[in-house]
Amino acid sequence: MSPGRLAVHPSHLIDQSRPVEFLFDGRTYKGFEGDTVASALWAAGVRMFSRSFKYHRPRAPFAMTGADTNCMVRAGDEPNVRACVKLVAPGLNVTPQNVWPSLNADLMSLSSLAARFMPAGFYYRTFMRPKFLWPWYERVLRNAAGLGYVTLETPSTYYDKEYGFAELLVIGGGPSGMSAALSAAGRGARVVLLEESPYLGGHLRHERQTVETATGERLPAYQLAARLSDRVFANRNISVELETNAFGIYEDLWIGAAKRDTRLLKIRAQSLILANGAFERPLVFENNDLPGVMLGSAAWRLLHLYATMPGRRAVVVSANDDGLRVAIDLHAAGIEVAAVVELRNDPDPTLAAALRARGIDVKVRSVVVKAHGRRRVERVTIGQMTDESPSLSGTVDVTPGTREVVKCDLVTVSIGWTPATGLLHQAGGQTAYDTTAAESRVTQLPERVRAAGRVSGTHDVTTAMAEGEMHGLDAAAELGLGDGASTELREKVASLKATQLIRNSSAVHVRGGKMAFVSFDEDVTVKDINDSVAEGYSSMELLKRYSTLSMGPSQGKYESTNTMALCSAANDEPIATTGSTTSRPPFHPVSLGVLAGRKMEPVKHTPMHDWHVEHGARMMNVGLWKRPEHYGDPAEEVLTTRRGVGLIDVSTLGKLQVIGSDVPELLEMLYINRWRKLAPGRVRYGVMCTDEGMISDDGIAANLGADRWYVTTTTGGADGVYENIEWNLQSGWTFDVHVANVTDHYAAMNLTGPRAVDILREVTDIDLRGDALPYMSVREGHVAQVPARVMRIGFTGELGLEIHVAAGYGLHVWETLMDAGRAHGIIAFGVEAQRIMRLETGHFIVGQDTDALTDPYMANLERAVRTDKPDFLGRPSLVHIEQRGIRSKLVGYRMLDAHVVPPEGSQIVVPDSTRPIGLEIIGRITSARYSPTLDASIGLCWLPADGCEPGAEFTARVRGDLLPGRVVSLPHYDPKAG
Amino acid sequence: MMQLECPNCGPRNVSEFRFRGEYVERPHDGADPARRRAWAEYLYFRDNRAGVQKEWWYHQAGCGRWFLAERHTKSHAVENTRYWGGEATS
Ligand SMILES: [Zn+2]
Repeated sequence: MSPGRLAVHPSHLIDQSRPVEFLFDGRTYKGFEGDTVASALWAAGVRMFSRSFKYHRPRAPFAMTGADTNCMVRAGDEPNVRACVKLVAPGLNVTPQNVWPSLNADLMSLSSLAARFMPAGFYYRTFMRPKFLWPWYERVLRNAAGLGYVTLETPSTYYDKEYGFAELLVIGGGPSGMSAALSAAGRGARVVLLEESPYLGGHLRHERQTVETATGERLPAYQLAARLSDRVFANRNISVELETNAFGIYEDLWIGAAKRDTRLLKIRAQSLILANGAFERPLVFENNDLPGVMLGSAAWRLLHLYATMPGRRAVVVSANDDGLRVAIDLHAAGIEVAAVVELRNDPDPTLAAALRARGIDVKVRSVVVKAHGRRRVERVTIGQMTDESPSLSGTVDVTPGTREVVKCDLVTVSIGWTPATGLLHQAGGQTAYDTTAAESRVTQLPERVRAAGRVSGTHDVTTAMAEGEMHGLDAAAELGLGDGASTELREKVASLKATQLIRNSSAVHVRGGKMAFVSFDEDVTVKDINDSVAEGYSSMELLKRYSTLSMGPSQGKYESTNTMALCSAANDEPIATTGSTTSRPPFHPVSLGVLAGRKMEPVKHTPMHDWHVEHGARMMNVGLWKRPEHYGDPAEEVLTTRRGVGLIDVSTLGKLQVIGSDVPELLEMLYINRWRKLAPGRVRYGVMCTDEGMISDDGIAANLGADRWYVTTTTGGADGVYENIEWNLQSGWTFDVHVANVTDHYAAMNLTGPRAVDILREVTDIDLRGDALPYMSVREGHVAQVPARVMRIGFTGELGLEIHVAAGYGLHVWETLMDAGRAHGIIAFGVEAQRIMRLETGHFIVGQDTDALTDPYMANLERAVRTDKPDFLGRPSLVHIEQRGIRSKLVGYRMLDAHVVPPEGSQIVVPDSTRPIGLEIIGRITSARYSPTLDASIGLCWLPADGCEPGAEFTARVRGDLLPGRVVSLPHYDPKAG
Repeated sequence: MMQLECPNCGPRNVSEFRFRGEYVERPHDGADPARRRAWAEYLYFRDNRAGVQKEWWYHQAGCGRWFLAERHTKSHAVENTRYWGGEATS
């Protein structure tokens, strides 16, 4: 047996035959397999794990549950790790946080001396003014905040997500949760059981008292835990997730949980049983944060899970039978129990007798007043409670002259339990404070949600198991499995619950002293609460934010009841009407990595993607697509295309296949222009509007004959256009049409330039001679021996042949065209060259030059708007707009200086001395490029409709300079005009 | 995450659906100058009620059907879903 360790026992989680060495604060320590960092360090005599948030007071493990923050350390590269649940591993490098320069000589702890200068609301008040000091304040606060740090050098860890389904989800693997899972599974329900610890059993696992099973059998608690756990693991209907923290319950029983801190588990449950227990409640007294002061259950965990001596000489503070059992167990482990400070008048006679038999002094109606010691508890002052104590709001006073000082290195506190109702509230349940039971009791639960065990105020093990069984049976019945719990069981649970012993003391706070902590996370004292309430922050929600209570990493788990009580005391009102704060996810802190999961960003590649990359294309993002921006020199791509020929990948265009006898009728309704007379073999450009009359998309529609049409949309518009067509078709339009979104099924490329026909002719069976394929027409045939659709369209002003082939043929056709074009000097060009050329010809881009307030009249499309059609999307609005007239207009411009290209978005201004900057904004530039064809700075801009005719001059504000430009008529460049 | 009952596919996560807002009737004579108010109300006015609201949903990541749901905007309880012109599911 190692020093500080107990003899091997079946309840232990550690294997004392397998030592593990790790580092803490630069020194090597020895633990055992199964040890947590905290248990191993405690056994080695370490009593200081961290420094507190505000006053940098020494802190050490308090609850040993992973829920408090006193033992937050850095483990390897990971900050804010709870040493009390982090398992030791060979070579693990654990370092303290929030210390400077070191744990033992922390200079910031001087702020303890300055406590009276750091009252509640300190941060808000002190660091407000003067404003210009904020950058400095921020630096100071960041350094003082001390919640660890992250380094960008840390290699990223693998995180992922898992989706699960459960007929019954049980949260909590203690006696009630396991009973619920077993009874529901016994009826055939598929059960998922989530447990945050690496084992099942809950508090039974660290308790030794004799408990009684449903069948009347009596055995030690830890043995019952093992037996139930074996049955759960053997049951094929139950899947158990250990080390899994449920942190959020969302609509329709959608549960979020962090599994082993590396996986986000999302479960949809049909039914939910909350059996997630309770938190033991701290007592608030002077220096209640000194290392060595801990919850009774923490001492149990050290003793019975980790074979670790919590101390050598203990003072046990007790207000329930748990406290008396802690005293017996400490004594049994060879620890001297200096005194049992019992708050009650009449502790359980059997237990009290057992203690006296061991020679332990049980001081009834006593209380601990103050802990003493510099870096760990060395003594405590205890005293007799006055007859009036505790008050209704939990304040305890000590009768003068009854104080005595007792030497000890351990103070355990067992005064009651706070049901862990955070998840229950998230699920929509309600609770109310029960003054007799001194805890919050469940008053209402939503459908399909049940609560069993300590979370529902059932503290007795036998009762908790019966309650779990009852709820499991009822949940199964709700799923159509079995008849639910029997009347006998129901009555048994009701009567057991009604008669169980009260485990909670109404005592909350022992009066006196300034360093009586309510919140260890944020160093909030009783005085801070009283001051905050006195300043007017009297409601719980305000108090919480002003004092930072329950806003630390443990989210108030160990302070909620005490906060409520102290707030009620300060307000002089009953606890029941004080209310609690709202519980929101996450109930438990979750690593950002778990929430983020794997980095998964969908990317769409066109069939020619690899060719572009291999040929030096610089790729850009266009929505989810990757497109070549250019292959080196976009200006050269423009000039070569205009002189000879170029090929661009336009596969990202949205593509719809529309078939049926009523397609023209459908198009008439969708677009502002006319379609009925478009003959087979012809193509037309169309503009779509919303019912508000605003431009939503544009593209072409080709009549392929025999009621077959092929429609293209903008790159980003395909899904929206398709959904909108479907919406209309499914909400009243009764056309004989069928629409399919075939965007990804076709590759498309545009062969552009004066020599385009010469190249395509070599590889197609489609007749291209003379006027066989006129402008705005479509033919179907073969290109490079594969079926193809060829449309003669283009937005560059040059002859353009747009070729659509099945996606799988895309690369083949592209390469064939590039080969055939080699003799003609063909080049591939990218989005940038395309944008320059379409700007030279004056075409706008939907979404670039237009926005959600652009109507067709403003965009020079008045001739396309056919308000003489009976109806189409946007028609009523456009009729109104046509009558009203427009205020601004999209026009072409040239900057007077050919070599200044204003950034897109630049303002167009006129002098106005009434404005702060002496200018009024009257318009803006939406597209701007240098045109290599014209050697000019050209673009499109918005100007007031009044006075924007060609020749009008304007002033653009470019990075503070005012530069002149002139409105020009479109197109900027027309190849046919030369 | 709440669930929504697609009339075609059954209950699915709401993330599979796209919301299109309250159900509103499109006036057939919106271009009539005398009906400008009605047209403007169709375009821009929404009840935004705290209660049961009839609204459009689209099963985007599923079957592609548009349907109407009657949803309580405070509790998110969906009373029924159905196709336009069809029978309610429940
Ligand atoms: Zn569906």
